[in-house]
Amino acid sequence: MNKYIFKVAKFEIVRQLKKPAFWAATLLIPALIGGIYFISFISTQEVETNPTLDENTTVAITDEAGVLSAGAPFVINGDKEYGKEMVKNEEVDLYFYIPKDFLESKKVEFYHISEGLEIFNNDGNIIKGLLLQDVMKRTDEVDALVLMGGYEIIDNKMTKDGEEANALGKAIIPFFIGIVFFMFIALCGNRFLMTVVEEKENRISELILTSVSSRHLIVGKIIAMLVLGVVQILALVIPILIIVLINRENQMIGSIVSMIEVDPVSIIFSLLLFAVSAVFYAGTCTFVGSLVSTARDASSFIGPAIIMMVFPLYFMQMFMMEPNLIVQILTYFPFSAPVALMLRNGFGTISTVEYLIGILVVAISAVIMIRLAVSSFQKNAINFGMVKPRFLKKK
Amino acid sequence: MNIVEAKNFKMKFGNKTVIEDLSFEVKRGEIFGLLGANGCGKTTTVRVLLGFYAPTAGELLVDGKKYNPEDSRITVGYLPEERGLYRKENVIDTMMYFGELKGLKNPREWSIKYLERVGLLDKLNEKIEKLSGGQQQKIQLGITIMGSPKLLILDEPTKGFDPMNRRLLMEIIEELHQKGTAIIMITHYMDEVERLCDRALLLKDGVARAYGRISEIKKEFGGKSLDQIFVDVYGDENE
Repeated sequence: MNKYIFKVAKFEIVRQLKKPAFWAATLLIPALIGGIYFISFISTQEVETNPTLDENTTVAITDEAGVLSAGAPFVINGDKEYGKEMVKNEEVDLYFYIPKDFLESKKVEFYHISEGLEIFNNDGNIIKGLLLQDVMKRTDEVDALVLMGGYEIIDNKMTKDGEEANALGKAIIPFFIGIVFFMFIALCGNRFLMTVVEEKENRISELILTSVSSRHLIVGKIIAMLVLGVVQILALVIPILIIVLINRENQMIGSIVSMIEVDPVSIIFSLLLFAVSAVFYAGTCTFVGSLVSTARDASSFIGPAIIMMVFPLYFMQMFMMEPNLIVQILTYFPFSAPVALMLRNGFGTISTVEYLIGILVVAISAVIMIRLAVSSFQKNAINFGMVKPRFLKKK
Repeated sequence: MNIVEAKNFKMKFGNKTVIEDLSFEVKRGEIFGLLGANGCGKTTTVRVLLGFYAPTAGELLVDGKKYNPEDSRITVGYLPEERGLYRKENVIDTMMYFGELKGLKNPREWSIKYLERVGLLDKLNEKIEKLSGGQQQKIQLGITIMGSPKLLILDEPTKGFDPMNRRLLMEIIEELHQKGTAIIMITHYMDEVERLCDRALLLKDGVARAYGRISEIKKEFGGKSLDQIFVDVYGDENE
């Protein structure tokens, strides 16, 4: 690497890594993911454990409908009022009333002393467990299996050629890479803009351009921002992968993981597309940043830039089918190409040749954008106002 | 050979001509005054010299070539009129960054020596934004003179400086001059020009109105002071 590019990149990386704001932004999303995971874990624990009766919980049931077998536990002879009185007098913790018209109403009344705001209280489900246990005792193994649905359906999809089809399994990794790309844009877009605007806002452009060429300055900054973006993405992806790894025995996660079909070619192409798209996006933001002079001007451009990138999502359904003209245009238009290519790769509606052409279009566009950013920064670095197109200028 | 050569240099922005067929030289080791009222083209000339703008016609050369900031054989220090620094960075990191870019062997050592000299050693790890305007100017000056440049361009160097800092700046300029650095000074203070400069160029509307040794210019204008010459040249506009 050129020594000037290296020096600029090193300075930009170190100064960002020293900023608390960088780490706050980097760790916020993993912390949120962790927080959501923790809450869902706790609530799952609550839902799973509460319906099971512990030794200290006392229960009473009035079964006017005769649903339970004779001699079933917790059944009392008293009526509903008697049961409620037991709860009031704290003789029992939980009281269930199964009315005579249970089959029609399909309702069981549940009485217990409220302990304030009980978001996760699921004690009412205890009756379901008790009723199920009672029914199971009266049912043979096959009936029980059928009734409980305790069997797995193995989905064997086939192609028209008679081969095994696993479109969803193949799409998981490309879509995951696509989601990571969105995260990358959301996390890094503003920084890409600001890294160039900062030079003008601080009135430092002239001082710096007598020490380093605009080409090496811009390329160094872009490399630094990409490296920082990768750090942030890793901080985001690694906790997700850890959570998946820890919970691979979980039914839902396990079934998704087992479905994943690793297609090395598709993964390599997806990563290649990710890389060139990130550079293209960095070049675009840097170019825009070189045209404006303040953070406020810059921030108004980030929105349209993202909208252009995510435009193909509005046509999501079209991407699932045989590509029409709109899909073809979006595939090869540099601003929409990254997302369009990711979608088509995920849905399996793109050939290898088309995909490579798309990647090439994005790569060439990235180089053009960086060249534009360099020349624009050289020209506009010392214009401390916003650059207006010629047609907007007063004659 | 001259350190700066301008040959039939013209500069237009759209339809507006800023510099019209200008030729001049700056000799090695001399202090050269680039003079004129606001908007006469002084800063534009420097910006073309440093490659920020491409000239409309002619050429401006530093050491016989177009200026390239990364050519270690031609070191140029430029203190622009529009001055700034990375406000959120601390003093030593900022100075070391520029020192590394300018190819100093030991930028930290150089920076510490300079800060000691200008009385800012205690601000070493302070953020730039926490420094006063005068203190920031000292940092900018330090960055400008890093690596003993062959050519030093100072655009309104004493603008906003208090008398103490002004004296310090003059001392540093004198030292560099003694070491053989050629200095281009853009200033409105004619007393500074008379005291420091060997030669000068007075611009008006992008045209040279006076050029040569200070004594020659004075002689050409009937022995008047530079201050009076300036008033005479620009006086027409106010009549």
